[in-house]
Amino acid sequence: MGGKVSCTLGEVKNRADLIIYWGGNPAECHPRHFTKYTIMQKGKYVPNGRKDRTMVLVDIRETPSAKAADIFLQVRPTKDFEVITLLRAMIKDQPVDEAAVAETGLSLEQLRDLVARMKACKFGVFFFGMGLSMTRGKHMNSAALLTLAAEMNAFTKFVAMPMRGHGNVTGGDVILRYTTGYPFGISLSRGYPRFNPGEFSTIDLLIRGDCDAALILGADPGATMPQPAIEHLKRIPTIVLDPKVTHTSRLARVHITTAATGISAGGTVYRMDEIPLPLRPPLKGPYPTDEEVIRRIREAVAKKADWMPGMNGVVAAA
Amino acid sequence: MELTVTKNATCTFCGCVCDDIELHSDGVRITHTKAACVLGTAWFKNHTVEKLFPDALIDGKPATVDEAVHFAAELLHAADMPLLYGLSNITCEATREAASLAELIGGVIDSHTSL
Repeated sequence: MGGKVSCTLGEVKNRADLIIYWGGNPAECHPRHFTKYTIMQKGKYVPNGRKDRTMVLVDIRETPSAKAADIFLQVRPTKDFEVITLLRAMIKDQPVDEAAVAETGLSLEQLRDLVARMKACKFGVFFFGMGLSMTRGKHMNSAALLTLAAEMNAFTKFVAMPMRGHGNVTGGDVILRYTTGYPFGISLSRGYPRFNPGEFSTIDLLIRGDCDAALILGADPGATMPQPAIEHLKRIPTIVLDPKVTHTSRLARVHITTAATGISAGGTVYRMDEIPLPLRPPLKGPYPTDEEVIRRIREAVAKKADWMPGMNGVVAAA
Repeated sequence: MELTVTKNATCTFCGCVCDDIELHSDGVRITHTKAACVLGTAWFKNHTVEKLFPDALIDGKPATVDEAVHFAAELLHAADMPLLYGLSNITCEATREAASLAELIGGVIDSHTSL
């Protein structure tokens, strides 16, 4: 991700003495995050483990993760961006409007204390979840927090890392980045990659009815997406590759059962800190892997006429 | 029924991707997990390699993988703006194939990241 100030979870384990979770609930959603990577581990430069670290939780409600935190800051819903912007001003000793602080649900003392801790730590880290990146402000919230982490490096070492949900969602971003230059929401309809979330992001495409076929790879939008998006998937030919017959499979023209990733299909997946890890599937199953089925579809398409002359190095006859 | 033990297996349920899991399996299902969290344990035990689903379905009717692959290729080739979506629960190797397919058909490729 361009310009993101980040690190690996190994660095967090060995160095971080201030750990701030923002809009995430690791106790329930990433149960081993505390014990394997962050607060509970003893690290090279934090030899006493939990005693050497301070954990702050910023969220709109007191989730089970709050029990693990030293400090819990309850932000008023939709005010995350404002809190981050206030922090960005306060770290530079700029005056802030008390009325603006009051609106966030936090007090000036709480923010001053947080700023003091952020500046005093040796290695600070923000872990931000969907409570920040998927609520009002969306990617602007993430951008603000990443900027705050970058600006904190004028005082001390500070990094930020998103708490990624699904197993290989990070891998999807990484692969698309190094093949097309962009992480997601990429159109290749002009023969070269164009990136524009909002235009080429799935929900927007489906709700506007822009796409006229869909290949769904290990996802179940038929169960999770807004109804107008599902309606469009029903209208167009949809193809599903999944280890199970899903809601989406039932509204699709084609379903192909594939081996489950990490269970009976091997390969590589990326951890949330962009470290690639090999899979060790314990079982052998009766179904082909996603990789094999997608390759066969690609090979079958490649035998047909080019949609654009000269695509994929194939030069059209004069 | 042969009991196998897989050490340092990788869990793909959440973004932590823990790679220190021990899995005991009987060749059909995973019977026991060590080091996995409650979500990981459920994920591993929820999968079997029994043939519970047809190889492929075309318009709801069972079909062979070969037929389904060719029909899928036809549909994607005929489309003006096909969408490839998902990528979060498949391997990087499969994502590479998908990126290549997206280029070949001039489509849009997107993942759960855009949600």
